[in-house]
Amino acid sequence: MLGFPVLTALIVLPAIGAALVVAIPRTRPEIVKVVALAVSVAVLVLACYGLYEFATGTAGFQFVSRHVWIKQWGISWHLGIDGISLFLVVLTALLFPFALAGSDAHHDVKAYTAWMLVLEAGCLGVFLALDLFLFFVFWEIVLVPMYFLIGGWGYEGRVYAALKFFIYTMTGSALMLVGILALVFIHAGHTGHLTFDLQTLAREQSFSGSTARWLFAAFAVSFAIKVPIFPLHTWLPDAHTEAPTAGSVILAGVLLKLGTYGFLRFGLYLFPKVSHDLAPLLLTLGVVGIIYGAIVAAVQRDLKRLIAYSSVAHLGFIILGTFALTTQGVQGGIIQMVNHGLSTGALFLLVGMIYERRHTREIADLGGLQKVAPVFAGVFMLVMLSSVGLPGLNGFVGEFLVLIGTFISRRWWAVVAATGVILAAVYLLWAYQRVFHGVPEGENLKFPELRWREGAVLAPVLALIVFLGVYPKPVLDRMEPSVRTLVERVDRQAGTHQPSVAQGGHR
Amino acid sequence: MLLNQFLFLAAVLFCIGVYGVLARRNAVLVLASIELMLNAVNINLVAFGAYRHNIAGQVFALFVITIAAAEVGVGLAIVVLIFRNRASIALDDADLMKG
Amino acid sequence: MIAAVAQVQPGQPLQLPHVDWVTIGPAGIFFVGGLAMLLAGVFLRRRVPRGLWSGTTVVIAVLALWPAFHLWHQIASGGARTAIADAVVVDGFSIFIDVVIISAVVMAALLTDGYLRRENLEGTEFYVLMLFSASGGMLMASANDLIVVFLGLEILSIALYTLAGFQQRREGSQEAAIKYFVLGAFSSAFFLYGIALVYGSTGSTNLGVIADFLRTNSLTNGLLLGGFALLIVGLGFKVAAVPFHMWTPDVYQGSPTPATAFMAAVAKAAGFAALLRLFVSTFNTYRLDWQPIVWALAVLSLLVGSVLAVVQTDVKRMLAYSSIAHAGYVLVGFQTASNRGVAGALFYLFAYAFMIVGSFAVVTLVSGRGDTDASLDAFRGLSSRRPALAFVFTIFLLAQTGVPLTSGFLAKFYVISAAVEAHSYALAIIAMIAAVIAAFFYLRLIVVMYMAAPAAEGEEAAPTARIPIAVGAGMSLTIAVGFTLVVGFLPASVFDFARHATLLKL
Repeated sequence: MLGFPVLTALIVLPAIGAALVVAIPRTRPEIVKVVALAVSVAVLVLACYGLYEFATGTAGFQFVSRHVWIKQWGISWHLGIDGISLFLVVLTALLFPFALAGSDAHHDVKAYTAWMLVLEAGCLGVFLALDLFLFFVFWEIVLVPMYFLIGGWGYEGRVYAALKFFIYTMTGSALMLVGILALVFIHAGHTGHLTFDLQTLAREQSFSGSTARWLFAAFAVSFAIKVPIFPLHTWLPDAHTEAPTAGSVILAGVLLKLGTYGFLRFGLYLFPKVSHDLAPLLLTLGVVGIIYGAIVAAVQRDLKRLIAYSSVAHLGFIILGTFALTTQGVQGGIIQMVNHGLSTGALFLLVGMIYERRHTREIADLGGLQKVAPVFAGVFMLVMLSSVGLPGLNGFVGEFLVLIGTFISRRWWAVVAATGVILAAVYLLWAYQRVFHGVPEGENLKFPELRWREGAVLAPVLALIVFLGVYPKPVLDRMEPSVRTLVERVDRQAGTHQPSVAQGGHR
Repeated sequence: MLLNQFLFLAAVLFCIGVYGVLARRNAVLVLASIELMLNAVNINLVAFGAYRHNIAGQVFALFVITIAAAEVGVGLAIVVLIFRNRASIALDDADLMKG
Repeated sequence: MIAAVAQVQPGQPLQLPHVDWVTIGPAGIFFVGGLAMLLAGVFLRRRVPRGLWSGTTVVIAVLALWPAFHLWHQIASGGARTAIADAVVVDGFSIFIDVVIISAVVMAALLTDGYLRRENLEGTEFYVLMLFSASGGMLMASANDLIVVFLGLEILSIALYTLAGFQQRREGSQEAAIKYFVLGAFSSAFFLYGIALVYGSTGSTNLGVIADFLRTNSLTNGLLLGGFALLIVGLGFKVAAVPFHMWTPDVYQGSPTPATAFMAAVAKAAGFAALLRLFVSTFNTYRLDWQPIVWALAVLSLLVGSVLAVVQTDVKRMLAYSSIAHAGYVLVGFQTASNRGVAGALFYLFAYAFMIVGSFAVVTLVSGRGDTDASLDAFRGLSSRRPALAFVFTIFLLAQTGVPLTSGFLAKFYVISAAVEAHSYALAIIAMIAAVIAAFFYLRLIVVMYMAAPAAEGEEAAPTARIPIAVGAGMSLTIAVGFTLVVGFLPASVFDFARHATLLKL
């Protein structure tokens, strides 16, 4: 380590890139894309450098960078990375060049690209922040570029979808801000010093049981909206369907992970006891999400909307794994976050390509594409099977770990959730069958094959899908110590009151 | 000292003033009602000053009289402006803006 | 002044108090500067270089910063004090409000220049009235005597009534003037009644004496509480808190837009300065009596302001309702009656002054000659006509929404944290919900500017006329945007300023 502030650079670089893009004259849109790609690839390289330098086998935060920001309030620019956030950072850094290269804005390329880069800075900030204030700032900042991306470059219902997205998420974060402040001031009341530092607040747990419950609720509602967990999910199909292709890729691939990551980093870490007590509720909601998402997805006529609902189901699995509160479950949850980012991101990109070729997303209008575009169909098949959770591909690893983890601690939830796996196979395969099988007619006869450039963009993601499915060990090894520490912490805090249940979690 | 009577008188005058402002349509009468309110307060101030054997109340009343004069000056100027434009000083006519 | 006069026995020569001029320096410079400009304007009626008067106003305002800094350092080394026979107080709080008002005057004066030229209203009067009005506001902030508070309030208000009606030939402006005048004078009378009752029950108009009296005597009659209520009514009108807000939309909409900008920033700052000093400092011992009232006002302002703003179609009117909601946030800080609450309220007023003057500056430019059209349609497609203007307006709107990395977010953060610290959780949550409702209409405006679909059949096409941006307005916008963003990124120094701007302990 050369003392180079890798994490700060990860956030600052895209922000500078956005400024650069704004500075490029309007008449030269072709440079914009080059600059944006260069910047986002540089970020990816940095993230990979972090992955390479990351010390496997340690649980604590690494690459920590800390500078005082607002002294009197105990707010600092505090960044760090551990096994939980590492892969989400890499995923984010990977998906942005993927989304930028894979789709083009139809107008005003400059503003579009600038917003994308701001969004990247914000997302990375959320994953890296170890200061509650900093976290909240990034959390809110993410809303603005996403709002503009959906509202400015989306499809017909874009303005409505953008507004719904913004209002929903902002309601959640409004509550979270009150929660953060309450947490900080209760802590200040007990210890006499004001600090927003996550580690300090988690270490010096200075709130009673019922207070903790309220605080957890304030955080949880915000995260639950972002994930989204079942009753709060209604913004998601609209936002996903109306967003431009790159927006959908990032929304599904990265933004939804902010919520699940929030649960791990802030829910479980700050409120271990409450997380344990409320786990049944969240597990139930997770399972309901899995089943509900699958059923609703099955009846969709719009391909993009179908994938959006499949996200609800997949995110249900992640919640299930997280609140199983076992090492396997949480690990499965994290790896499932990465998987969902890869496979759903790629699916949205493919649907975007279909839309560009055919100008429709209606399943009924498509059909027989396999005949005219076999390579395209093959790629779609592979990504879809990854989403279904076919053994040998990455989706299987995640779902398997989640189910095992849940089965250890909460048997019945795991059993019900397992039916979701079958349902996923049903609706995705059925959709595939309707779109790609059969005899092509009319417009579908002229469906162009996958281009080389598109293939080149998709190739790294496809490679990762296979690699993670065959050999997930390097990933699991790196996240295991952090996850185990977190789970043990939850067990210890909860175990003092309910030893019998907590022991069920150990194996 | 008979403080309560003065306070009562002031309160009644003030209320008449409030009624005038709320109920009258004629701008000049509204101005007069505002004057009435201010002078009701002056009665209060002077009465309290006398009750407390304290000169501040009377001094305050003088300030209020001065300011009230300035205020009415501006008020009448505005009324004149409106009258020039519309040949009416009914306040209800001034209702272009709604929402 | 009054205390000294009150001790005079008949027959004795009058002892005039020592006047420490520098303590009323900022207000004094504004007042004298205004008078000088008024005279100069009479003699230099014609043929003055462009921008002379607005430039002079800016110079006067910046000059007033000098005594303010001087006093700030004095307070930092020697502590807060009262002066001129205890009639005024010199503390960090008053200096802070002075700085807020000075900033607002600088921006409004720069904005006014191009506006007056566009409307053919050139002359000194607008600036002079602005300076007088601002001096009244400063006097309110440093008043330590109810008489001085009242004087300051009237100086502020009377000049504002005239500013509201400055566009003599436009009916909207006249209407705004008469409405503002009638309701303003009406509320002044309530305020005065409140003063009389407080004076009657405590025997003094001096805030220090009143505070002492209240600390040593516990009053149980309704006189004092009635006084509190009437004072809140009177000042509630000035700061546009619900239910005393009825005048706000009409007056904001009808007044010349630069006057609206000035009014929104300065009248609110001055009104809250008086409220905070009177209640948090002087009536502190009775805070359990007045806190519930302020709590209710805060909730009503937040919700009514935000909800009614959503249904507006005129941008000026919408900003008026949003300013009511902003008053609600300041009330949230006020309600806590704590140091953090006061500092939060101050920071909010400071940040708000820049946001609102900036917003109205954009409206001034867009609404065109005669302030004719500030409807949502006038803003349609602004991003393609004037991308920079649309972008700047977007920053102000996002700041008002409370998006991080703008001063608006930190302002909300500050007052909400004060509320949380004071365990007013319900209020904090209501305030955040109001912020979400408010986001709805700020975003609607952004949508209109950026995402407007081509006009459907039967609809009016988006306006295409070029929008000229005067130099002064450009400078004003630059200052406002600069402050909003820089403080949004690096708030530490302004946080410190607000934190040290404490009220003199009485």
